[in-house]
Amino acid sequence: MSIKGRNIVVKDKSFLNAVSAKTLSRRRFAAVSGAGAAAVALSGRAYGQSMAMSSPDTMLKVGFVSPRTGALGAFGQADGFVLDQTRQKLAQGLTVGGKTYSVTILDRDTQSDPARSSQLTKDLINNENVDLVLATSTPEVVNPASDACEASGVPCLSTVVPWEAWYFGRGAKPGQPSPFKWTYHFSFGGKQFAIGYLSAWDHGGVATNHKLAVMDPGDADGMAIRNNLNPVLAKAGYTITDPGPYQDGTTDYSSQIAQFKAAGCQLFNTFPIPPDFIAFWRQAAQQGLTRQMKIVQSAKFGLFPSDLEALGSLGYNILSTAYWHKVFPYKSPITGMNGIALCDAYEKATGTQWQQQLGASQSLLDAGFAALQGATDPKDKAAVAKSLSTLNVITQVGRVDFTSGPVPNVATTVLINCQWVKAHSGPYKLDYLVIENAADPNVPVQHKMRPYR
Amino acid sequence: MNAYKVERWTRQSVFFSAAVGALLLVLAVGPLVFPPGITDRLTTLFIYIILAAMWNALAGYGGLVSIGQQLFIGLGGYALIRISNAGVPMFPALILAIVIIALVALPIGELMLRLRGGEFAIGMWVLAELAHFSINLDPLIQGETGTSLLALNAFTPGARRADIYWMGLALMILLLGTLFVLLRGKIGASIQAIRDDEIAAASVGVKVQNGKRVMFVLAAGGCAAAGVLNLATTISYQPHAFFGIQWTAYMLFMALVGGLGTFEGPIIGAILFFSMETFFGATGVLYLIGLGVVALGFALFIPRGIWGEVEARFGVRLLPVGYFLKMVEGEKVK
Repeated sequence: MSIKGRNIVVKDKSFLNAVSAKTLSRRRFAAVSGAGAAAVALSGRAYGQSMAMSSPDTMLKVGFVSPRTGALGAFGQADGFVLDQTRQKLAQGLTVGGKTYSVTILDRDTQSDPARSSQLTKDLINNENVDLVLATSTPEVVNPASDACEASGVPCLSTVVPWEAWYFGRGAKPGQPSPFKWTYHFSFGGKQFAIGYLSAWDHGGVATNHKLAVMDPGDADGMAIRNNLNPVLAKAGYTITDPGPYQDGTTDYSSQIAQFKAAGCQLFNTFPIPPDFIAFWRQAAQQGLTRQMKIVQSAKFGLFPSDLEALGSLGYNILSTAYWHKVFPYKSPITGMNGIALCDAYEKATGTQWQQQLGASQSLLDAGFAALQGATDPKDKAAVAKSLSTLNVITQVGRVDFTSGPVPNVATTVLINCQWVKAHSGPYKLDYLVIENAADPNVPVQHKMRPYR
Repeated sequence: MNAYKVERWTRQSVFFSAAVGALLLVLAVGPLVFPPGITDRLTTLFIYIILAAMWNALAGYGGLVSIGQQLFIGLGGYALIRISNAGVPMFPALILAIVIIALVALPIGELMLRLRGGEFAIGMWVLAELAHFSINLDPLIQGETGTSLLALNAFTPGARRADIYWMGLALMILLLGTLFVLLRGKIGASIQAIRDDEIAAASVGVKVQNGKRVMFVLAAGGCAAAGVLNLATTISYQPHAFFGIQWTAYMLFMALVGGLGTFEGPIIGAILFFSMETFFGATGVLYLIGLGVVALGFALFIPRGIWGEVEARFGVRLLPVGYFLKMVEGEKVK
């Protein structure tokens, strides 16, 4: 893209004139000649793209915004593969209402930077004229992308952000009508954590003294969990020891560890950023806390194999809920593959262990293209937004149903509790196995939960 | 006999100032003729130019190196969220937010300007972090989750884009114009004396503290303006994105590469930074490495920056902020 754009940074006016006569509207030409060479040079990339935009009305353009590099890079690790597969399947185009549209998916890497996410989304909207924006993985990526779409009147579908952080985190108020007309989101929320946790702790077959240690940081996720999840756990009969919020990036956890040891806690639940958990858990091992633990449950840390590999044998038997797992029985309507086929293909193609974002990214594409297909006119943005609002389809992660969400614009998906165990065979060090299926009985249970120690 | 003439307006600077005026006129009609993508990107360029010029006002002229100017970027955005949430219409709210933060900068300046050199630089950073964590406690902001400037969704996309563009252009002209007038006035001379040698300046009667105070408040207001504009273009307010140290890195880059302590330099630095971001931003890590290499290269080999070097070599000055002393033949003096 940028190479094409750079051609425009040419001082030779005759070239500009020749180009403009053929492909530019008069208005745009006036803009270029008016702004002079400086402005053309500055905005060369953007300009070059809009020049190539000769978009006929049988071409669908979809933006895909995700973090491929930077601090959140683990989320985007599998996106390249998922996108390639989908592009191959849609190479023949997408048929909507008897008319076949060619499909272009433009993927963008936010580099884990919220400002860049906003910028890239605006670029997709203004210069590429996309018909739909898809965004995934963490509020840092999704919220700015959704905001850019909402403000520009472009439909947007997103996933993998706790829905409360997406809906309330963008200024919606509880009990009031939804302020969003263009943006839709499907993901798990606080309630789904409680279902997965209690199912494993109460019925998983590991006896405990019901004394629960919690470590929730002072960031958005930590506060949401402290306020919404902990009361539910207390009501379910767990005695909670909560030393209070700590700052992300804390390096010394001695006082919390001492408190948990004194209280004799046998369960541990936390919501940390991965580097903090690694620091905390090593100290807990040195100071003898890990020896008394029967159940160790973590969220945010423990989504991907790379998190656990950093912890070595201390990571064995930690529980972490999955928003998707390879044994989910659902098939992607685009690729026709179930979870096992998808993961096998991924491992074969990349030599890397499967991870849960594979299914989530695929389901985002599944739901997005289903919405385009369900629209009366996929080139009409209002029609696509309307189609999103009533979308009800089976995707790679299961059912995505916007007609029955907790608030308008939101559909919830499940969380299934899983355990990281030392792999017995195979090329990878760890296995990630389903231990309960309270939220979706179609997901097969693979493994009986083991105590941490 | 030879005579000397003090010149402010050289032929070059007259010509160039006229050219700048013409360019601004063209930019003023921008949203009417530019495609939306270009309008949007130019707004970003205005924000960068404001940031570069403000950091330069502080460091290049005031001799105050701050690595915490993101304090005012974050506070500007926060003020806009709060004011807009209170029901003030969008465009008055934009102005109000900037004015409030400039006023807030007055007592902050009183306190911080007692610190010197490295203490001031670090002190500003500490203050920025402190403000960041305090704002996280506001239930409206919801910690790092942040919130969005929903009031902007009431505008049609085209009108919003154009209005924010004009707002950015107007603020850029206003802030750079203020700096220009200040530098040409009495305070300009005293500030440049402070920059060259603070103690010597004080010894000849320059009111050091006064000059610094003016620059501090101007830079604070300017950074708040950049924060407000940034929020208006991105809509999402996530505290760690607004209070991030990367803003200082950008400002430093633009001012250093363009030419610290010159009026034109930071503008050139901003345009260079903006072009690099536009053309190479998509390359990710390589882009960041490239930025670092460019900054290092300039610091090592061209410490005066692009414009500092040009000015020193060719004696050109495109915008007349200083004076030239010219020797003329006696009989030609009238």
